[in-house]
Amino acid sequence: MAAASTSSTADDQTSRPSHDTDTPLDISVLKEIARKGLVDALNAVNGAKTLVLDPSLAGPLGLVTEVSLLKHHGVDKMFWLEPGPLSATTTNIVYLCRPMIKWIKIVADQIKRHGRESQKHNYTLLLVPRTSTLVSRILEEEGVLGDVTISSYNLQFIPLAEDVLSLENDWAFKEIWVDGDETVIFNSMQALLSLQKLYGLFPRIVGKGDYASKLANLLTRYNQGQGTTAAGKVSSEKLDSLVILDRRVDMITPLLTQLTYAGLMDELIGITNSHMEIPISLLNASTAPPAASGPSTSPSTGTSVPVSLSKEKKKKHHLTTATDPLLSELQDLNFSAVGKKLNSVARRLDEDYKLRHQATTVSQLRDFVGKLGGLQSEHQSLRLHTGLSELLVPQTRTEEFNKSLEIQQNLLASYDVNNQISAIEDLISQGADMQVVVRLLCLASITAGGIKGKTLENIKRELLQAYGYNYLPLLLSLAAPPLAALLPNPLPPTAPPALTASKYPFTALRKSLRLLIEDNEIEELENDISYVYSGWAPISVRLVQCVAQKGGVLSNPAEKEKKGGEDGDSKKGKEHSVGRAQAHPIIGWKGFEDVVASIPGETVDLVQSLPSSVEGGVPALSSLMLPREQSTTTVVFFLGGCTYTEIAALRWVGRQNKGQKGGGKKKLTEFNKFMQTEIARLKEENPDLPHKERFKQVVDNWNKKKEKDKA
Amino acid sequence: MEPDHPTASWEALQDGNVFYRRHQVYSISGKLPDLGDFFVAGCRYGGPIALMRDTTKMVALGRATAAFSKTQIQIYSPAGEGLLLFSVWDQGKIIKFGWTFDERLAVLNEEGAYRLYDLQGDYQQYSLGTEASELGILDARIHEAGLVALTESLTLLEVKGWEGAKPLTLANPGLTQPPHSWAVIPPDLTISRHVEVLLSTETTVYSVDNLETTDQRLSRGPFTHLAPSPNGKSLALLTFSRTLWVVSADFQRSLADFDTSDVIGVEGDVRQVEWCGNDAVLITWDTTAVLVGPFGDTLQYFYTGPTFAITESDGVRVLGPDACDFIQKVPVSSVSVFRPGSTSPSAILYDAWDHFTRRSPKADESIRSIRPDLAAAVDECIDAAGREWEPYWQRRLLNAAKFGKAFLDLYNATDYVNMGQVLKVLNAVRFYEIGIPITYAQYTQLSPAQLISRLTARNLHLLALRISEFLSLPSSAVLKHWACAKILKSRPSASASEPALDEDAICGSIVEKFEKVGGSGVSYAEIARKAWEVGRTDLATKLLDHEPKASDQVPLLLNMKEDRLALDKAVESGDTDLVYHVLLHLQRRLTLGSFFRLIEEGGAHLALASKLLQVYAREQNREMLRDFYYSDDRRVESAVLCLDEAVSSVDMTAKINSVKAAQKFFSEDKERGFEAKMMDESARLLQSQQQLEKEADGKISFFALSVNETIRVLLINGMAKRADKAKNDFKVPDKRFWYTKLHALTEIRDFESLDTFARSRRSPIGYTPFVRHLIEKGHHKEAASYVPRCDAAKRVDLYVECNEWRMAGKECKERGDKAKLE
Repeated sequence: MAAASTSSTADDQTSRPSHDTDTPLDISVLKEIARKGLVDALNAVNGAKTLVLDPSLAGPLGLVTEVSLLKHHGVDKMFWLEPGPLSATTTNIVYLCRPMIKWIKIVADQIKRHGRESQKHNYTLLLVPRTSTLVSRILEEEGVLGDVTISSYNLQFIPLAEDVLSLENDWAFKEIWVDGDETVIFNSMQALLSLQKLYGLFPRIVGKGDYASKLANLLTRYNQGQGTTAAGKVSSEKLDSLVILDRRVDMITPLLTQLTYAGLMDELIGITNSHMEIPISLLNASTAPPAASGPSTSPSTGTSVPVSLSKEKKKKHHLTTATDPLLSELQDLNFSAVGKKLNSVARRLDEDYKLRHQATTVSQLRDFVGKLGGLQSEHQSLRLHTGLSELLVPQTRTEEFNKSLEIQQNLLASYDVNNQISAIEDLISQGADMQVVVRLLCLASITAGGIKGKTLENIKRELLQAYGYNYLPLLLSLAAPPLAALLPNPLPPTAPPALTASKYPFTALRKSLRLLIEDNEIEELENDISYVYSGWAPISVRLVQCVAQKGGVLSNPAEKEKKGGEDGDSKKGKEHSVGRAQAHPIIGWKGFEDVVASIPGETVDLVQSLPSSVEGGVPALSSLMLPREQSTTTVVFFLGGCTYTEIAALRWVGRQNKGQKGGGKKKLTEFNKFMQTEIARLKEENPDLPHKERFKQVVDNWNKKKEKDKA
Repeated sequence: MEPDHPTASWEALQDGNVFYRRHQVYSISGKLPDLGDFFVAGCRYGGPIALMRDTTKMVALGRATAAFSKTQIQIYSPAGEGLLLFSVWDQGKIIKFGWTFDERLAVLNEEGAYRLYDLQGDYQQYSLGTEASELGILDARIHEAGLVALTESLTLLEVKGWEGAKPLTLANPGLTQPPHSWAVIPPDLTISRHVEVLLSTETTVYSVDNLETTDQRLSRGPFTHLAPSPNGKSLALLTFSRTLWVVSADFQRSLADFDTSDVIGVEGDVRQVEWCGNDAVLITWDTTAVLVGPFGDTLQYFYTGPTFAITESDGVRVLGPDACDFIQKVPVSSVSVFRPGSTSPSAILYDAWDHFTRRSPKADESIRSIRPDLAAAVDECIDAAGREWEPYWQRRLLNAAKFGKAFLDLYNATDYVNMGQVLKVLNAVRFYEIGIPITYAQYTQLSPAQLISRLTARNLHLLALRISEFLSLPSSAVLKHWACAKILKSRPSASASEPALDEDAICGSIVEKFEKVGGSGVSYAEIARKAWEVGRTDLATKLLDHEPKASDQVPLLLNMKEDRLALDKAVESGDTDLVYHVLLHLQRRLTLGSFFRLIEEGGAHLALASKLLQVYAREQNREMLRDFYYSDDRRVESAVLCLDEAVSSVDMTAKINSVKAAQKFFSEDKERGFEAKMMDESARLLQSQQQLEKEADGKISFFALSVNETIRVLLINGMAKRADKAKNDFKVPDKRFWYTKLHALTEIRDFESLDTFARSRRSPIGYTPFVRHLIEKGHHKEAASYVPRCDAAKRVDLYVECNEWRMAGKECKERGDKAKLE
């Protein structure tokens, strides 16, 4: 760390990835690819063009490109793809959208309208991520197929942070588990394939869940198909395995309230495509010169903030660690620790500012001025986050919030389930937020293995009466087989076998995977992934640990010193070899086969070998077992989205593995987290509703951007 | 025994400056019928000839009668091997036939239909259009990349390429009678890059293209023969007076005049006027052929019977009764090396090598003498090797080159290696059993890939495969053709009893071969398509199983009407787009009933297809979705669909009806009693809301609100009685009702009513919520009044929240709680 002695902001940023200094996977190249793809697609249409954009793509696109780039490539004007006439001045009109029927119908309608008004335009339809027969069929049915050139823009993984990639497909969860539309799986497969093209073949694919296994099988099948043609394929040096988890494997985690800083912001304010809407005053203040006001004078609106929140003009803010030095420190902290952290940062900043009084010599002054830029930006972000947490605090104090937390904790501990359900009923009568209620209900159903038939009917009736009968389809899809998140107990004898099979062995898992940590100090200690939910370890991340950090599942690595070898004796003689939660070679589910098998859904454990290597698995496996000096990356792919808490937990696991360098084996596992949909939760509860809302935000986002560019 | 020295076949022209050589490629005595009785068409680049009996000639009836009874076309290789014999169609006289670039025989009849036969006898048929067939075709000229037909009304039609393109009408030459002779200069040889037709009429020649007709204003005509040179730059014309006139293609420069009646010993009509390369013309009579050089000097060749000459780019091939000859101008490099008394560096190099092999010291001396030109000499020797037919001389020349190469410090041996490889290939295909007498120059023009495809067209797959491997060209094309040929050959014959076994064997052998040779570029789907075309569906299906790309499998399966299988494969592939492709295709082709049955019978396996269909239909084709659910007795889904419509419909009555329909669907399923009840309630609510709106004269909107909302709106508007009624009608529990009422009354700040309400009876929710809610809405004072009714233990805190510190203090005092007081 010799170079880091000049503590500027730049170093603050790199200090976070410094825990993966060895060879972090460089994923910024993916952004370049996405950008280049867009430019190529646009340049294929000659001359000035009008771009008509699917609003749901605006967010993802905003992460890879900016409006000026589009302008530079001949985009004259941009419009939202929305019903109604389109008035374009250029002859070329480029539509950019996902191949969804509703978009295509709008496109067809606009083209027909132009036809009636005898306007001549050249239409190009760019479909993301690939073209579709369905689209051409619909255009044909609408009678405009001949007028449109259809091509594709292959937008795949978008880097959200240096260790997080996303396909930014907001509908993934609903499409897979409610509609049964597996397009997302196929697209994920293609995206993973291109990832493999960049970084080499995943040596091993481990997965859990029916759709995860589908994805894994597709991936290996296409690898074989391409294996002969792409001769240069090699097993990746940098990746050690791909862990695919489908959301169905762990439905509990997203139903809980996320308790990390980023998680809470998402819960209470909402983060879409890494952007969130926050009161403009927060941002404006943060751009003001720091000398004007100290951290103490930041807007102390106190309890009235929630009210003003709804009224005040809001602005999109891009949450990224690249420009926000504090975010990386804060985002994964349990919210209870955020205040303390902010306080300490404020103190440190203050100290740093005070240095100027001690600067007696010219060179000291120069040093200070050199640091000033860093200090200022740190200052700004400190102010932003103080403001944000002040926004959050009152909301975490509401009765509804605390009640639902309490119910969650009790349900997880299976403590007095009946009482919890009547508590939920109370929430309904109090007119609590519909999503909160449904989340709690599903949680109750999953953890308790169903709710008593009569009670369930009663509570469903309450729900429908309180929130409207049009939620009946929602309740039905929640009870339908692929989701099975809201079930009566016992199941009616006529229930399809799919339902009976999907029963979640929660109580057994809680024990075998050490899901619930009773110790109250843990949130402060952060010595187990459970800190992200104040005592609950996300099943998904435990499963990842089962693959990559087996010791961490059994015992708390940080407490290891104190307790010695006694904990973990529940498992067969493993505790000696894996005494500490150190990284180890990826050997699949070994050691946890029984546990994993007890979770509904198929289990995958495939070794991907090169077509040339003889006899597949055996040599590849043994080569994997060799201790390697180089650190490798385990890729975790959540099919159907994941939460910020899970990201935080995975980062913790990654750090932990790194920290245990002294162990016998040197191989380190750094986690990259791939999330497919940023916000899975909402969709889960509400397959039909919340998109409109999100949609609006995105529109705003881009409108703002456009304004900014014009200015 | 040493073969004849190359110069043995040379004959000098132009005072010994230019040499022509006649090389007998194959001895074919007795193999070909008398060419005099046939129409003949020859294919360039060492290709075969096609023969059709000239019906104007008399034939001695004999044993071979059968062969002549029908219109038949025979195809012979240049080595005289019969390649194919087929009958062309019955109706319509055959006007013309000729060869295409890829060695297919184009046969045109008088009705304007033409077929393209490959060497296996398979053909594609195209037509020149209805107009042409009505007019009738008088004559045609077929060149490698198309044809020009002369209709009965003396207009010209052109077809470009051999893909059945629509014929283009050329400019009308305005002829009154058929031309004496005519010819076509192919488009790639003309300046305009369009086809040019030359028509000899009266004394002049018209040249016609697609725009205009030009009269060349000649007086020497009419001409009996008209032949453009291989490069299209010159024309050879033969007048009625037997004078050969060679002129540039634009008729501006006369190149040569030669009176053929001067030739001694010729009799009868001139059979052919053909070019030999680009600078000599061969005129043939029945037994004589005369080669006329550029300056009118001649060489004469004698044959025992009628011959047929085929112009090649670097010479002319002559098929006689006894032999297949190749006549060409001796290439420069050969002249340079072998010409007697040549002192060119290459000749000296060859000589030096010759000395070297005989261990003569002169070798060194010779090499020294040509030192500066050695590289050029080596190159020339390599080139000369390519021009020789005899492997013996090829080898000697290459050896000489190798010898010379050794004296060079830096020499790129690529040419040398390539030439060695090419010669190996050329010698192989020239072998009489293969019978492609192609020269090095022709080979470079034709391209190796074309040569390979010519071999596969002759079913010489092994050779083709070896050659493509030898030249490291992709072998996929060969394999594909091989597999197709194998499928055709193995037509169900003896094994009719065990067809399945047979199919398996074929499929197995094809797959085995592909895997062994590693033809990864071959698509099984293409071969399967071929199998399907010849009616072997089983085999096609089996082959398709080996196709790794589902996107290739599925379309063919659909064509084969293997609907179920196509759907299966598409679903297996996981590619939703492909599934849609199949679904949409089937939806169009099948009746709705059988379409649904197909999907339903698939059960769990086709679940994906069924789901996707629903997704599609929900957006685009609701009628179909309704039918789909109905036919499958999916009551719940039907009901949900109804509800979906209820949400989107604006009209109240329509909405109520949709909800009722949903209710009906639910009630049909005895599992769904709860849902049915709910929908019943929902319909009742909507109706009562309708009623309420009517009563309120539409000033208050109730429709489609939830029960809670309805009660709230009622309360806000002061309709407390109504609210109570709604509570009873929908059995709203007290707790919920109290909360709702609390919120509603707070909203309109009707604290009086709230107070009465609170006192009406003991609150089922306690009074803490009153306090909390009022505080939340900022009514601290009002909130405080409810504190005394709350739990004693909580009162202090609640007072504090109300900012009523005094009351809090008092409370503490009353309870004697000193600690709290602090």
